[in-house]
Amino acid sequence: MEPANKAQRNSERLFKYAMLGPAVLWVIAFTFFPIFSALNYSFSNYVLGRGITSYVGFKNYLLALGDAGFWHSLLITLVYVGIAVPLEVCIGFVFAWIITVGLPGKGLFRSILTAPLFTMEVAIGYLGVTLFTSEGGLVSALLNLVHIQIPWMSTGEGGLAAAILLDVWQWTPFVFLMALAALGSIPDEIYDAAMLEASSHWQVLRHVALPLAWPVLTVAILLRLIEGLKSFGLPFALTSGGPGTSTQLFSIMNYLVTIQFFDFGRGSAMGILYLVMVSVIITVFFQQMRKRID
Amino acid sequence: MDNLLWIHSKRSGKIGIFLVALLAATWVLVPFLWAIINSFKTLEATFSAGSIIPFLNFQPTLDSWKEVLDDPQSINSLISSALVAAGTTVLVLILGTPAAYSLARFEFPWQSKDIALWFLSQRVMPPVVVLVPFYILMVQLRLIDTWSGLILLYSTFNLAFCVVIMRDIFRDVSKEVEEAARIEGANLWQIFWMIALPLSLDGLIVTGIIVFAFSWNEALFSSALTSQHASTLPAYILASRSTRGVNFNVAAVNTIIAIAPPVIMSFFVQRYLARGLSFGAVKG
Repeated sequence: MEPANKAQRNSERLFKYAMLGPAVLWVIAFTFFPIFSALNYSFSNYVLGRGITSYVGFKNYLLALGDAGFWHSLLITLVYVGIAVPLEVCIGFVFAWIITVGLPGKGLFRSILTAPLFTMEVAIGYLGVTLFTSEGGLVSALLNLVHIQIPWMSTGEGGLAAAILLDVWQWTPFVFLMALAALGSIPDEIYDAAMLEASSHWQVLRHVALPLAWPVLTVAILLRLIEGLKSFGLPFALTSGGPGTSTQLFSIMNYLVTIQFFDFGRGSAMGILYLVMVSVIITVFFQQMRKRID
Repeated sequence: MDNLLWIHSKRSGKIGIFLVALLAATWVLVPFLWAIINSFKTLEATFSAGSIIPFLNFQPTLDSWKEVLDDPQSINSLISSALVAAGTTVLVLILGTPAAYSLARFEFPWQSKDIALWFLSQRVMPPVVVLVPFYILMVQLRLIDTWSGLILLYSTFNLAFCVVIMRDIFRDVSKEVEEAARIEGANLWQIFWMIALPLSLDGLIVTGIIVFAFSWNEALFSSALTSQHASTLPAYILASRSTRGVNFNVAAVNTIIAIAPPVIMSFFVQRYLARGLSFGAVKG
């Protein structure tokens, strides 16, 4: 829109900043403040009820770095994300493929396959207890039929595996939706030509569909990575972080340090360290992704 | 579309695809069905996982539904969840939509794409990192265990999402329509309020539903910042899980109540979902 005169230009300037201003101020106030505030607490000795009593330099950071629980939670988080996200991408892509191929009744399938997307993570973890527990749990009962017994809830590995399975159940639909959009935007002629030449669906999927959908899939991976590194509700509701501390993902461990033990200084230091780590992972991934696509 | 792809498939290919589809649907539906079945069982009946057919294997009962719905705390958390999610949705749309429109339509000294990216980068931060500052802030503002405290927080987390996605949606509104209204004498606010907004209603509804679902499902801050009064469903579920253990039938009812509203809403907005959830990166 070309402003006709000065008055109009001024009113337009007023309008655009008035419209943008509140949101920007809100985000600045409520994101810069807490991050700086967290930094401040991380260098201090915070006593509940009395506030910051003294500054202790890097003591909280050294405590965090020397804490086996901190490193363990990082490892568990990386395992969780490292297994769940690739599974979600593979399964989601295959789901999208069967819809794109022209399966009859695809509208219904689409609705069914997206249903887990908006389910509450805590509720799914909670329901997961009734699925995986060894007394009367559905998964355990089914596996019992073929004489397989997996200690889902009584060991750290089992609990983590159960949490990953539920995460895959909930978030595969996200990749599915994005892959569906990507596959849908590929012209039909390309599929048709490929189908005439190739001998199987698998070949078309592998050599035609996957490369063309890859840019969108990387966006899906990036977004899943961002969300996965924040995981809290589902694993916490499923295992409460146990047995012991074996399934404490970073968010769970940090939550317990902060809210149950009120160790605000150490909790903040751990949070800042994690923020740095997450930012590095996301940035590296983002740059790699850009390079590949360009 | 894609008919050729289907027609040219061999019979074995078609069968394979049907099998995968069947497997996929089973995989997705079983947990839902399991919750529904268990919600109509007595506690004793839930101990036998094999009995899944009502009337034949077990006598269906509404007892667990009554137990949950008679519990004032669970009703209270249901009300809290609804109010907090609705309040957040309204606040986010009021703050975010004008900003999104402004970024979509006007020139700024900085690239509007960069501002959008800045908004987006807010989502990378794991919420637990700012748990301490927000906890202390809420204590100081006397907003611990209040609905307004949670609305304030959830709006912060979701504002970025709304701005980015609505900016993308407003860019699709044709500029000619707005130009025509301008020639008719409409001012900038009228163009936004009476032209752009109604034309973007679909997108606005999807954005609202996604924000509602995000707030409805949030567990970390609700658990940390509420105790009784403003405790939302996720916090209530986590608390009752640790104090009372897990009774299958009660867990099932709670699960159904907790997941139904957003899931049902999402059925109505299939069209824009991929686009909304990918922050506009994918046009679906």
